[in-house]
Amino acid sequence: MVRIRKAGHHGILLPELKIGLDYSGSKAEHYFVSHAHADHMPRNRKLTVYATPPTARFMKLRGFGGEVIELEFGKPLETENARITLYPAGHILGSAMTFVESELGSVLYTGDYRTPPAPATEGFQLPENSIDQFITEATFSLPIYKWKSEEELSAQIHNFASTSLKEGYTPIFTAYNLGKAQELMYILKELNHPIQIHGAGFKLCGVYEEFGFPLGDYETYNRETCEGKILITPSSALGTGFASSVKKKRIAYCSGWAANESRQTQLTVDELIPISDHLDFFELIDLCEKIQPKKVWITHTPNPKVVQYYLDQLGITSGFLDLEGDGQ
Amino acid sequence: MPMNTFHTLAQLAQKISSTRGNNAKIKLCVEYLSGLESDRDVELATQYLSEGAFSSVSGKKASVGYRTIATLAAEFCEIDYELVFKPSRTATGSSSETIQRLLENIPEARAKWKAEHLTLEEINDIFESLYITSKRDLKQQLLLNAWKKMTPLEVKYFIRILGQGSLRIGFETKGVESAIAKTFEKNLETVRYARMITGSVGKTAVLAKHNCLNEATFKMFSPISFMLASPIESRAVSDLSEYIAEEKFDGMRCQAHISGGKVELFSRDLNHITPSFPDIIEFFSSRDLPDTVLDGEICVFKDDTILPFQLLQKRMGVKKPSEKLLSDYPVLFITYDLLFLDGVPLFDDSLIVRRKKLEELANTYSIPITSQMELESKDDMEDLFKRALAHGNEGLMLKRKDSNYEYGQRKKSWLKVKKPSGSLDTVMLYAHAGSGKRGGTYSDFTLGISVKEDERYEEEFIPIGKAYGGYSDKELKKMNALIKEITLERFGPTLLLKPQLVIELEFEDIQINKRTKAKFTLRFPRFKTIRWDLSLNDVDTLKDVERMYKEKLSEERERQGKNPSFVFKN
Repeated sequence: MVRIRKAGHHGILLPELKIGLDYSGSKAEHYFVSHAHADHMPRNRKLTVYATPPTARFMKLRGFGGEVIELEFGKPLETENARITLYPAGHILGSAMTFVESELGSVLYTGDYRTPPAPATEGFQLPENSIDQFITEATFSLPIYKWKSEEELSAQIHNFASTSLKEGYTPIFTAYNLGKAQELMYILKELNHPIQIHGAGFKLCGVYEEFGFPLGDYETYNRETCEGKILITPSSALGTGFASSVKKKRIAYCSGWAANESRQTQLTVDELIPISDHLDFFELIDLCEKIQPKKVWITHTPNPKVVQYYLDQLGITSGFLDLEGDGQ
Repeated sequence: MPMNTFHTLAQLAQKISSTRGNNAKIKLCVEYLSGLESDRDVELATQYLSEGAFSSVSGKKASVGYRTIATLAAEFCEIDYELVFKPSRTATGSSSETIQRLLENIPEARAKWKAEHLTLEEINDIFESLYITSKRDLKQQLLLNAWKKMTPLEVKYFIRILGQGSLRIGFETKGVESAIAKTFEKNLETVRYARMITGSVGKTAVLAKHNCLNEATFKMFSPISFMLASPIESRAVSDLSEYIAEEKFDGMRCQAHISGGKVELFSRDLNHITPSFPDIIEFFSSRDLPDTVLDGEICVFKDDTILPFQLLQKRMGVKKPSEKLLSDYPVLFITYDLLFLDGVPLFDDSLIVRRKKLEELANTYSIPITSQMELESKDDMEDLFKRALAHGNEGLMLKRKDSNYEYGQRKKSWLKVKKPSGSLDTVMLYAHAGSGKRGGTYSDFTLGISVKEDERYEEEFIPIGKAYGGYSDKELKKMNALIKEITLERFGPTLLLKPQLVIELEFEDIQINKRTKAKFTLRFPRFKTIRWDLSLNDVDTLKDVERMYKEKLSEERERQGKNPSFVFKN
């Protein structure tokens, strides 16, 4: 089987194939970036990397200085000893799972992903060929996490916005600049109400439009004119004056972590909308059962043992990719 | 659905929880209460929302521990307790919420419950059965049968109500009192007075419903909530001469009800603590007092010296103290207020008036009462403060001479002057995401001490406390910048940090707590200084903590001598 090495916070290395997956170190020759969130983009800004076309655009807009070679979903890239194909991950626009096939075996690295896919994405698709090793994130790896259906969440989002507006309040959704913000806009556009989005998120919206995801009637946030619009911002901006001119406002916190009730008082928000761009615990276990890999590698979780315990019961071998060292 | 089901109440609680603003919460509660018809439903609903499974004066408790509930929940969901339940509980920070979500999510659990729309009265029956059942497995059987008939939402609130604690919906007794006043168009103060007097929110609601709030009168042996003190730092005192000073005793607050030979003692949370202190019962019952209610402090007192609170802890909660325990740790009830005398409540009298009556009573019946000192200047206060500390007491209490006994309230009529007990150099281990106004920053921190050279531990550092404040906004910003660099792993809202940043932590007291890794916890830990200048080698060790704890126990305490904290003419 292909050797897998986790390089601290600097991604994953397949040393024999010299392939880096969201990897920032110097020991790879071929670098693949799963999606354009900061914790997955290389810290070394001079690298040459492969990524999907939307991810390439986002990376440039977010200040990546190296070269990004665009690689379409489903179009394999051949290296001297491996074949790499990207598959849609359903996390944010452009997010990809990296499928590596070689004589040593195959590896699917999920990056961040969601199945069923988030609405404003290219969907979620698994490779047809068999997967020997499955490296999966497990951000929400406890049975307390089970997402509501898309219909329920959309209804909650619509209802929060329209009720607030009707009662004379300006609705504010707090969401991450890339991905969650645009997903909300995509869902909210049905309301046909003008939206203003924080500048850092605004500059990324054009990529969604370009790739066929219209985001409705939106403009960049303007302190003078934001009252009465639907507002979208990362929560950090609320502390630094965002919409501070608006007296009557209501805030919705949109994140998978919103499933935990304590977030409401911790963050002083009016509504918790548990909309996640990761899969939930049950979806994760189901997916592993469906794929039946020779080995599941778990990352990005404080609770790997919980996942392993359930996989054991299904007879699926698994391991935890800790911060350092080889998977074993 | 009928209004008097427990499910309707649970839905109300959930709605109140997710609604912001006190008035909006009260409005929801008023709408709900207006829809209830029978007196019994009004009584139970208001009681469940504010007091718990039993009225606080009933003296009843379901006595169902956390583990009983948590292990049953794991069994119900067919999940591993250690491996699956515990981390889930850690992630939510609430066992009841965890149980609600597991019952909703896990297919094996879903198959077991079916909403049967139990009424409030049926829920009361379940609480009563839990009260009279003492064995754990039988209690679990009762709980299991109950949960099978409830929705997960109901189970969550059922557990919280059972715990006799807060429902954690940002709506406490005060809110329920306001809702009762609004629903039945009564004056809020009248409702509050009746609640204090009856000791029962449910009974008060029924009285309000029938226009009979005036029937609520003070009764002996029903405890009334204590008047509380604010820290002096939070209040600007313009004229010290309006206050009288007393030493703040290193003991336990207590209310004594005495009528003939009968004596009952109540703790600050209004629990019945009579059985633990037969010596105090004997003391009062032998004195042939008129009907009396006293507010005061229980202290361990030996060789003319007030001994540390830690020694009093050996007597607390012991239902039948042995002769040895009684003679090793003899206690005294030191009185500082008189709330009721010979059929007349005195809450509405000024402190001066109450004190005069208390002094007469103490003279006649030989009861220890506090020494009261006049203050003219800050220097006076400083001197008295030092004397109090020398006696082994915590500091001073300043009480406004013209104040009534403001039961159940923490206002500025009583002020406490305390000295922080100590400080430790600790290392930051975890950062927790922002509370409230500090959303988006990491504002709560778990601090650790060193066990590097401690053969009892494998770790280098272990947690000793969690601090939420004491830093400036600027410092918080600077810390957050550093935290980004030293984050090792992210667990949702919590960051595991590389031990590096040294924090000088200030706290009130060190207490033994067997459930923590260090076996000690700090009371009220907060930041004193960020020690950018110190390194990991400067971090205090667990041995230091143990030493401080021991020192505190064995600190020299001055005998009462010629300027005593209290007067006792035996």
